[in-house]
Amino acid sequence: MAITEERPPLELTSGDLPPVEVETLGVFHRPRSTHGWASWFTTVDHKKIGIMYGFASFFFLLVGGFEALLIRTQLAVPGNKLLSADLYNQVFTMHGVTMVFLVVMPLAAAFANYLLPLQIGARDVAFPRMNALSLWVWLFGAIFFNTSWFLGGGADGGWFNYAPNSGVVFSPSHGIDFYAVGLIIMGIGSTVSAVNLTVTVLNMRAPGMTLMRMPVFTWMTFIVQVLLVFALPVITVALLLLTLDRMFGATFFDASAGGDPFLWEHLFWIFGHPEVYIMILPSFGIASEVLPTFSRKPIFGYPFMVGSGIAIGFMGWGVWAHHMFASGMGPISVLAFSLATMFIAVPTGVKILNWMATMYGGRLRFTTAMLFSIGLVAMFTIGGLSGVTHAFAPMDTQQTDTYYIVAHFHYVLFGGALFGLFSGIYFWWPKIFGFFLNEKLGKWHFWLMILGFNLTFGPMHILGLQGMMRRTYTYTEGQGFNGWNLVATFGAYLLAVSILVFIWNVIRSYRAHRRNPVNPGPDPWDARSLEWMIQSPPPEHNFDEVPVVEDFDEFWHRKYGHDEQGRPVRIAATEDVVQKGDATGVHLPSPSYWPIVLAAGLPLIGYGVIFNLWWALPGVILMVAGIYGWVLEPSTDPSAGHGHDDDHHHDGDDSDAAALDEPADAGTADGDGEGVDADGSETAAEPEPAMATASAEAQDGGSK
Amino acid sequence: MPRKRKATVVALIGAAAILLGLWLIIRTIGQPTGKPLNTLAPFGQQAQDIQDLTIPVFSVAGVIFVAVLVAVIWMVVRFREPDDVVEGQDEPTQTHGNTPLEIGWTIVPAVLLAVLAVLNVQTLLKLDDTGENPIEVTVVGQQWWWEYRYDFDGDQAPEIVTATQMVMPTGRDVTVKIQSNDVIHSFWIPSLNGKKDAVPGRTHELVFNTENPGIYEGQCTEFCGLSHGVMRMQIKALPPAEFDVWLANMTKPPAQPTNAAAARGEALFVGQCARCHEVNGLTPDSTPPFSYSDEPSPSYGVEVDSSLSSKNAPNLTNFMMRQTFAGNLLALWEGDAATAVVAVPGDVPGAVPDKVNIKRWLRNPQDVKPMDAENNQGMPNLNLSEDQIDDLTEYLVTLGPATRPAA
Amino acid sequence: MTDVALEPMDDVEFPDDVHATSTGISNPKLAMWTYLASDCLLFGGLISTYLLYRNRPGNIPGLSGSDLRASELFNIPFTSMTSFILLMSSLTMVLAVNSAIRSDAERMRLWLVATSVLGAMFLGGQIYEFTEFVREGLGFTSNVSASSFFTLTGLHGAHVAVGVLMLLSATVYSMRRTLNAEAVETLGLYWHFVDIVWVVIFAIVYLIP
Repeated sequence: MAITEERPPLELTSGDLPPVEVETLGVFHRPRSTHGWASWFTTVDHKKIGIMYGFASFFFLLVGGFEALLIRTQLAVPGNKLLSADLYNQVFTMHGVTMVFLVVMPLAAAFANYLLPLQIGARDVAFPRMNALSLWVWLFGAIFFNTSWFLGGGADGGWFNYAPNSGVVFSPSHGIDFYAVGLIIMGIGSTVSAVNLTVTVLNMRAPGMTLMRMPVFTWMTFIVQVLLVFALPVITVALLLLTLDRMFGATFFDASAGGDPFLWEHLFWIFGHPEVYIMILPSFGIASEVLPTFSRKPIFGYPFMVGSGIAIGFMGWGVWAHHMFASGMGPISVLAFSLATMFIAVPTGVKILNWMATMYGGRLRFTTAMLFSIGLVAMFTIGGLSGVTHAFAPMDTQQTDTYYIVAHFHYVLFGGALFGLFSGIYFWWPKIFGFFLNEKLGKWHFWLMILGFNLTFGPMHILGLQGMMRRTYTYTEGQGFNGWNLVATFGAYLLAVSILVFIWNVIRSYRAHRRNPVNPGPDPWDARSLEWMIQSPPPEHNFDEVPVVEDFDEFWHRKYGHDEQGRPVRIAATEDVVQKGDATGVHLPSPSYWPIVLAAGLPLIGYGVIFNLWWALPGVILMVAGIYGWVLEPSTDPSAGHGHDDDHHHDGDDSDAAALDEPADAGTADGDGEGVDADGSETAAEPEPAMATASAEAQDGGSK
Repeated sequence: MPRKRKATVVALIGAAAILLGLWLIIRTIGQPTGKPLNTLAPFGQQAQDIQDLTIPVFSVAGVIFVAVLVAVIWMVVRFREPDDVVEGQDEPTQTHGNTPLEIGWTIVPAVLLAVLAVLNVQTLLKLDDTGENPIEVTVVGQQWWWEYRYDFDGDQAPEIVTATQMVMPTGRDVTVKIQSNDVIHSFWIPSLNGKKDAVPGRTHELVFNTENPGIYEGQCTEFCGLSHGVMRMQIKALPPAEFDVWLANMTKPPAQPTNAAAARGEALFVGQCARCHEVNGLTPDSTPPFSYSDEPSPSYGVEVDSSLSSKNAPNLTNFMMRQTFAGNLLALWEGDAATAVVAVPGDVPGAVPDKVNIKRWLRNPQDVKPMDAENNQGMPNLNLSEDQIDDLTEYLVTLGPATRPAA
Repeated sequence: MTDVALEPMDDVEFPDDVHATSTGISNPKLAMWTYLASDCLLFGGLISTYLLYRNRPGNIPGLSGSDLRASELFNIPFTSMTSFILLMSSLTMVLAVNSAIRSDAERMRLWLVATSVLGAMFLGGQIYEFTEFVREGLGFTSNVSASSFFTLTGLHGAHVAVGVLMLLSATVYSMRRTLNAEAVETLGLYWHFVDIVWVVIFAIVYLIP
């Protein structure tokens, strides 16, 4: 697909590009509107795509959270009969897959999509249409995967889905078919996205934004994309073999026909371990933005932070078999992987110490975002330390597949990844939507969550060390698991309450903002990186003028100099440094129908593979149509709008040239541009999803 | 500076609270009573080796845990932004890093880990020891119970085949050869050793050695489908003399039923149960040694024509020598006889077979543990009448030395 | 048809006043490199699978499935010939890219078509090979050795087929619309990669006994 992206990528930058010669085919008009609800389906704007990733994954967080509550309710007391063993197995499998592939990864992708271009000073990602494609492919894959609930039951093999228990003989329902095909589809989406963002970081940086000036979040996300590029094909191979086994009569994992169940284990974990870092590194990045901002200090030891991230990324490839210490591998393998795993703790420890050093001597402001980041530091430390304890292979043979492991990875993925992501939500919310989340409710959210979290997963350490096995649908009296399980269930409900508080916070803050809109301004936190240099919410073209970067924490250094003790001294007012967001005529990629069309073909093919190959035909037709529509789509339709507002100014063929010739100068079009913008958004605001309306209204109210 | 003092006080209180909490947990965590699967209460040599590694590792981790948490608490109080902060004053110094310090905290943990790595390697090598003059027991996992095959003369035809409860002598290495008939399971007796997976097509070895007679509980820990959560096992460790008694009793042929009900039960057993279950010398028509092989059966259990084979269900020869059945879920004896560490449970004074449990199982096995008999996974509900269940129970309790006339 | 709808290379490069990509490599090309890196692991996984399974069954008694192994049926001279054809297509691809850079649309189309014809011949050879195997009694589900062989070479064949489709599409496209040389170059990267992967597969699967 990459090779058919015929548009010169840098047409996004303002300046003089040669007008592209276009031969319009009548049927391939591009969609014009960048406002209104329909525009969300055709948008190629990385910010809108990021927001959609965010809302969709939050929806799946509620789904996965509901599944978690079912699990905890079932295990609250011994011998509970709420769920049958069969249903329980489906619920915990779907919970795991949902949280990994439908929540943490896409929520991190939401931030990556939204922030990467802003943080490196770009107008968009390298391939905007591919960006939309990866969103839709992922979303349709996720929906496809969840439709299994209505088509014979969910997958029931655990998220790791070990063969041969995943074979047709042992799992005759279609659940695991949906698992295999659904994950292949989502993997395609993630691969496209990873390639896109890798190229974006490597190629789209603003002048002067060298690699070692990139914000830590950008760095961590970049490492994640590289990990995805290499990890996803491995799981794709495993899933392909599983699909061939289940649906086409192959015997790759059938020991009676010479297959080897170990093949699945190795392939799964070669993907699965980097996957752990894929989930946690974005949150490390977020904490590395939030902690310096609210400590009023730069991140401590930036090169070490970046270096340890890279080290984790590399070493993450050499430790996969620590998931298999009890599987019966040879002692040499166990030894090698055990030692490698122990030493991956070193770069992780460096990160924690550097965060603490960042806070040391700072002036700490305890916003909700800061609280979540500090929570991450503390909770991830616990998860990291318990992780070290099962790097010791002999100990792991006692701990693995017990609740001790469940506790460990929830401390890493909930206490680490999800806390980081919530920190990011509170931190960037005003930037993205143009209004603050209520801090008081935010603190309620944080304290309920950290309390509920520790009550839920803390006792699991004890349960696991006392032998409670993982993936069990019940336990009995006399096993000594009673009390702590009840505590854990109580904690889980507390967590649910904290999520409700968050939702209430969003609703209330939005309503308050509707009543009395107060724009938080471009830089509400006195922050450090480039995204705070533009208006909140950012204009569609991001930067009026692509900034020339001279330093790490560029925006901070434009605001502050230093006295001889190294303390910050303001050298410029924030208002003078930020961009006004009123540039007109910035050439932006037009929306496109084809990403969503192309993506819609994949789940149809999926259903075809599972139920009847003929059903795949419409999917194939849709895909082929999508690909050719995509290729033949005019790169820039002269009659379509491109700036967020310049379609109001210009019409017809001359808009292209005029737009391109117009200097991206702030001063001239100031009032005019804003007025038109407000008018434009006013008419379009109503049918939009709530949050988008909020952002449009923010400007609306501001200009009145 | 009062802020500093305040921070120190709060941090100390925090440290005290954390230490108190840890102490409360540590105090009881190693207790074996009431926690049959406790990983921190070793009774065997190998589990003790693991424990000897666990304690230093957990101690180091605990110290770091407390240090980090206390440091965070201290900083949170110490460096909190004052309420009366004035823009442009009291700005923090912008430290960008400190390379020697950072190299230091890269190297120090690495060295610490290197020291622990030595312990790790030592323990690994110790556990990898295959045992001296061991007794070999083949352990076969299947959905959702464990079979134990004792082959003393090494002729590939086991002399003893039993299920659910494995018996071993104390003071001697026992090597289990772990195999699987269907999916991956994991054999785990936490009091004696760590776990090891049973993988179809492979044989994995694990060594047990204990000086302590006792019944040690275990649990399958690799997700294996429907009844994974209740796929349990036991090892009964007996003093060598008792173990010999056990061996002698286990190799005796079954006695003839003496009462009419048991005889009717036997007929029913041969007609119905013998399709899957085997009683040596009775069913199908074989005499020991019968046709087991040491090769892992690669057929996943389901392609076997179950009407001719007894491979898919527990061998019930000397059934009453066991103390539990149905994957260790149900006691086979009432009262102490179910948990006594003896060779022959029927010899425990006042031992009475738990017929209620047996009948409960026969009435509907799927009531006790979830199975999918249509898919050849587990025991079907045979829809026996109450009379049939009574007869069958009478027969089953004769399978073993307990009700045999004293020899 | 006759008008040359091809942008010369230097027009596609970015004007001086717009900063070029940070690495100097164009976005599509860098994306293709990244994608191919990912693809390496896809083939790596399948090659490993084949190496693990190529002798099964055979050395493990008591297993179900055909005793026949894919390697017993290899027709090395025939496959060498189709491999040579595929390698030649890399040469024609180089010529196509070269013509594209020189804005010689006619020549470029000629070489693109030549490349796709060679690719199609290779595919024909693969289909012939597969049908031969099936006739000898080795189908996809005969045993794991066969399954892994067919999966690996089949996936490679799918890559070639997609490549052929893209080559033909690019040819047709260049007759109607503006095709920039960058796209042809990127397509070339893909094609060379597919060829190199075949060299590896041929060496590992066919030549190593």
